Amino acid sequence: MQRQFEVTRRDGAARLGTLRWRGEELTTPSSFESKEELEFLNGLTIQKAELDVAVITSQEDSRAERIDADVVILGGAPRFSDDPRGLTKALARARESANPDSALYVPTLATPNNVSLLVYAGVDLVDPIMAEVKAREGYLLSAEGERQFDAVSRSYCMCDACRGVNVADLTPEQRVTVLSAHNRHALKTELCIVRENIERGTLRELVEARCRTAPMLTALLRLLDEEHSYFERRSPIVRTATLLACSQESLNRPEILRFGERVIERLNKRGGILILLPCSARKPYSRSRSHRIILNRLGKLRQFLHEAIITSPIGIVPRGLEIMYPASNYDIPVTGKWTCDESEWVIGRLTKYLEANAFDTVVAHVSGPYRKVCDEAAAALGVDLIYTVEDENILGSASLQRLCAVVQERIVEDSLKRRDLRFDYLQDLADYEFGPHASTAIFAERTKVRGLFPTYYASDGGTRIATIVGTYCTLALTIEGARRYRRASENRYCVHIDDFVPKGTVFAIGVLNADPGIRPFDEVIVLNERVIAVGRALMSGWEMQASKRGAAVAVRHVDAR
Amino acid sequence: MRTGRTSRRRYPRQAASGTNGHRTHDRFAWTGLDLLNGEIVPSLTILLTTKGCSWARRDGCTMCGYIADSNPDAQSSDIQKQLFEVLARYGTGFKIAKLFTSGSFLDQEEVPIDARDAILSALADTPKVIVESRPEFVTSEILDDVVRFNRHLEVAIGLETSNDDIRNGCINKGFTFRDFVRASKVAHSKGLTVKAYLLLKPPFLTELEALEDAIQSTHEAAPHADTISLNLCNVQKGTLVEALWKKRLYRPPWLWTAVEVLKRVKQMATIICDPVGGGTARGPHNCGKCDRQVVSEIKEFSLSQDSTSFTAACTDQLLWNYVLEFEKFSYGAPLVP
Repeated sequence: MQRQFEVTRRDGAARLGTLRWRGEELTTPSSFESKEELEFLNGLTIQKAELDVAVITSQEDSRAERIDADVVILGGAPRFSDDPRGLTKALARARESANPDSALYVPTLATPNNVSLLVYAGVDLVDPIMAEVKAREGYLLSAEGERQFDAVSRSYCMCDACRGVNVADLTPEQRVTVLSAHNRHALKTELCIVRENIERGTLRELVEARCRTAPMLTALLRLLDEEHSYFERRSPIVRTATLLACSQESLNRPEILRFGERVIERLNKRGGILILLPCSARKPYSRSRSHRIILNRLGKLRQFLHEAIITSPIGIVPRGLEIMYPASNYDIPVTGKWTCDESEWVIGRLTKYLEANAFDTVVAHVSGPYRKVCDEAAAALGVDLIYTVEDENILGSASLQRLCAVVQERIVEDSLKRRDLRFDYLQDLADYEFGPHASTAIFAERTKVRGLFPTYYASDGGTRIATIVGTYCTLALTIEGARRYRRASENRYCVHIDDFVPKGTVFAIGVLNADPGIRPFDEVIVLNERVIAVGRALMSGWEMQASKRGAAVAVRHVDAR
Repeated sequence: MRTGRTSRRRYPRQAASGTNGHRTHDRFAWTGLDLLNGEIVPSLTILLTTKGCSWARRDGCTMCGYIADSNPDAQSSDIQKQLFEVLARYGTGFKIAKLFTSGSFLDQEEVPIDARDAILSALADTPKVIVESRPEFVTSEILDDVVRFNRHLEVAIGLETSNDDIRNGCINKGFTFRDFVRASKVAHSKGLTVKAYLLLKPPFLTELEALEDAIQSTHEAAPHADTISLNLCNVQKGTLVEALWKKRLYRPPWLWTAVEVLKRVKQMATIICDPVGGGTARGPHNCGKCDRQVVSEIKEFSLSQDSTSFTAACTDQLLWNYVLEFEKFSYGAPLVP
């Protein structure tokens, strides 16, 4: 059957899409408008016609088989209007029960206040029924919440419905007319804002702002964050927008947790000397004034060191990953004080990082809250760190002098092997993106690194293997790089297609099999009998398998042989 | 579900606790006013504890929690004792006596023959005695027996709805409209009167479906019943309706819906309604502001049969109208609590 819904853009579980029905194209997430539309859809649940519509109940457990319909309706949703736990489970279950290229319609629940969270959780379609109910209960709705109409002052709103209206003069019927028009308008406006944020990849930032306005919504977001794998499986590995960590919930963002996990699980284990540095406002850190001063002072000593940056809320950023999202672009409120949650999280990350890598010496060139984090982590592990900062001034000449002296002292014969510092970026990115030991498979002893920061590239005897590409600073493999990786990696990050040579885009319908671990914007290898292309994933691997519509991979290089 | 019970009966488990067939008079009998041949007369309602409804013991209806009131060990003598204690206290000067057993008075399993006959003889002079029964016990044989002791019986049958799909799919009542019609014919042929209980808003229906079903059922039941009692569904302990209600998948009917039914069907039959638990979360309710007035107007109407009783107006009627029109689009849950 021809599918009538197509996802065109993803931002975590939220999607922009197009629903073709009644001879029109509806851009989702969107709200139905008229009773006629609702009746029409209702009719389709009984008699299948132009659109395949299925209803699942809010009681149901996950099904063994995904429901294959254009529109899937989550029945009975208003029962969750003040039950965030039930709503979280029902939404995740509904989304998982439906095919990824089914539109999920959650009826009679949306308000301007909660619709961003509904969409964030994976809802594509809503309706104005709750806005109308609230109008009849006397509530004026806005993205900030609801207010009793009688209690609002005269100049409460500038929308067409409200302008020039004096609350006191209205009959009950007129009040409902005004409130209904206002509430519908507020819902539509909020949906515009939601779509705009999905387009930019910043819906999470909007949701963190909106959830502040009601305990129910804050609870909802926190409970949604507990469904980590649901969101992680849908979250892109990179984005261009800056991650704004303005709230407690920011610590639980899927990409922050994922970054933390990958640093421990995927990166090459190290020994030798580690130097810990505080983060900087400017990203990447090595371009900041503070880091430049420290790194310049260390000079050639750097070739014997591993560097890692301590930061909230990302945790620990090895130098090579400083150009990778979210370490490359995030912003936090800087007050010089860390909250307990922040400290605890960063202490945990540092402890795990030190535990996973067998450093001989750990030098902490930090002060203030960073020093406290290092103390706590060292205490937890029962190890000693060497602190090099004097007078709380990381850039003071005494501190820098001590740093160099400490490092100099500890360089042992073994660690005298000089490294190309640029190689750190390639190696770390390879492991971070493709999994443990990917760098060993892709790069060889004789591999040369060239290029300007941060777009380094690696070649072997004149053959390009991999390049750090500009937009997102991901490591892109060439066909040769892909072959090397493939030999060592089974089918990880592989997309199997039928026997054709892709041009430009591989569509989901053409995908035979894909690694379910692939995430949007991952670099992937396209193959049939042989490695035939490399490109950037546009949807998750499990989604490529289950979808019938939409672009799956944007092809970068093809081996047209 | 039956009419004539007040909110005192809304927590049957508590009522039954610590009692072993022996109950205080106040909780299990009370006086009131009812309609008899167009006249308002004093009535006495008596709740009798029996071993419980035969259907509830074996299967049960989705909204009925009265089985919790029963006493599996209730003997014939216990039942008689309960009645005579009530009569000793309240006398026999009432025009109407209502005997509620939480089951079928005519079921010999539930009310043994000697108890049944003793009770009916004791009330032989009361102008109207109302007993409740499922249709399967309303047989020519049983009625021939009982009319020997009392000729003023009214048999009240919990028809609930004339729609067999709703009665058996949503309520799990276990009999058909034809069973009711047969029972009614038998009762009438013996010179008895028949009351039909209709349930407003069984579970799984929207407010509008419930409204339409009640009107349709009144149309269809009226030719077979002398009185129709519209019972507004309330949430009783230990029932499926309660489980749904707790999950926010059921809401008792709006009082406006009851008013609408009463207004629209009044010419068809004598129709009475006692909104048990009216204005509470577990009972039929509106917005909270107008509930008391609407409840009292419904009671007034039950006695007067005059729809000019209904004068209340409230802004929540706009919401109720919207709910009627749009609730089905929620696909399974009430729009407002």
